[in-house]
Amino acid sequence: MSRTVSTSLLACAGILASALLQAQPPARVPLPEAVQPLQRFATSTEHYDYLYNYHKGGTPHTYESIPKWEGLWSADGNNSGNQLFLESTDGGPIGPFGEGENVVIKKGVLTPEYEAAFQYRRDLGVDYDRLTSCEPAGMPRWLLEPYVREFVNTPVQSWWNNDLGNDMRRIYINQEHKNIDGTHYAAGDSVGFWVDDMLIVHTVDIFPGDYFRGTPPTSNQFETVEVWRMETLNNGTQRLVDNVTFYDPLSLVEPITVVYTFRPRPDLEDMGFRMRYWECAQNDNTYLTFDEDGRPSTQYRLPGEPGYVDPRGVDRLRNPDLPPDLVGQEKSPIFSEAVQ
Amino acid sequence: MKTTNCIIALGVMLMAVMDSAVAHHSFAMFDRDREELLSGTVVRWAFNSPHIALYMETEDGTLYSFEGAAPPSLLSRSPSMNGFTFQPGQAVQVVYCPLHDGRPGGAVGYIIDAEGVFYRPNDGGCGPSAEWEQWVGMGYTSRAQAEAAQ
Repeated sequence: MSRTVSTSLLACAGILASALLQAQPPARVPLPEAVQPLQRFATSTEHYDYLYNYHKGGTPHTYESIPKWEGLWSADGNNSGNQLFLESTDGGPIGPFGEGENVVIKKGVLTPEYEAAFQYRRDLGVDYDRLTSCEPAGMPRWLLEPYVREFVNTPVQSWWNNDLGNDMRRIYINQEHKNIDGTHYAAGDSVGFWVDDMLIVHTVDIFPGDYFRGTPPTSNQFETVEVWRMETLNNGTQRLVDNVTFYDPLSLVEPITVVYTFRPRPDLEDMGFRMRYWECAQNDNTYLTFDEDGRPSTQYRLPGEPGYVDPRGVDRLRNPDLPPDLVGQEKSPIFSEAVQ
Repeated sequence: MKTTNCIIALGVMLMAVMDSAVAHHSFAMFDRDREELLSGTVVRWAFNSPHIALYMETEDGTLYSFEGAAPPSLLSRSPSMNGFTFQPGQAVQVVYCPLHDGRPGGAVGYIIDAEGVFYRPNDGGCGPSAEWEQWVGMGYTSRAQAEAAQ
């Protein structure tokens, strides 16, 4: 192998290794700067109310005038996730789930209790993900998950779908927060108002979750104020930008403002992709287990093992009250033989 | 030319990996340091979320189960895959990272069809070596074997 080829291979390998160590693919265009709030707000409600009053309640839209963010989208660049909470003492890369040599928790970002909890999680390793149990990503992870989104805006509600886990956000326009259930929700309770083509969203009552697997957890006091807009880039393509401020007095020393972006995916539309119901419980054969040291881990069921779910065939767990040889129960007639 | 091919191959791999390094569960059960090659026939190809699955029977009658990435990311790979890409009875080879505990299964790296086309339905559970395009032709059945011979 020539020196040139060896050097090129090393360079290629370096590029690949570097890419592997990024939590998200880099934005295809530079990430916009996160816009910090105009002033320091003690709570997310104070922040949202300030914006609502500043914009005098915003712009009423009709079905004709409402900004259309149609089509399929996927998450693009962001400056959130573990880069908020971890640093490398030697300038080395930080892995997607916070792994890496000499990677430590940044001081002064998390409250002492949540910094300790994050260290506890890191000491256990990142061999488990709560989504394994078919939980939706929820907020704030909804913003970072890599898969497909749909954004449907109407004058009274916006419905934003994440195909991972049937994880829909509903934003109630020019309405008050409501919680008649007395609980928290994965996506929280969101209200918002339009200012021309910009949507400002306030989300509360969020079930504690994560920014991503391997990040610090959020608490049940976590709330967000988001400013969404679609912008047209110099190359003529569009992107959605979410400038979001995280408030969480239990986990964050100070509120944090970051930016997430989403890019259109006409390529997926051209290939016939349509967002379907995410049948996690009927398709997923991974499950929570504990290793010999008692650490949470993940395991994988094979056909014939207890609890195995057959993603295409006639599953006894789905049809326990039907004859096992009943014709026409497979999901697809081209895959007619059950895996047993 | 070799260098160019390498760069192209790694470029394709890079794009795939960037979409695939994340998944809805961890990969603790897979041995990502090992890469094995198996031949067999497709029993089922399940193109569904949260992860695609390939079931393959080997010549000795063992049923292997392989898990890969979520469908949206497979659509944008090169070559693209959908729910009809692999059919029951089709002869394939699979490069995979086996389960740590030795059961017949693992995380899929490549699926290679009878024409020698390399499909890459993997997620972060298995990041197979780019050299497999050469190793398969040289008769190697594991990365360890190929590396030991070189």
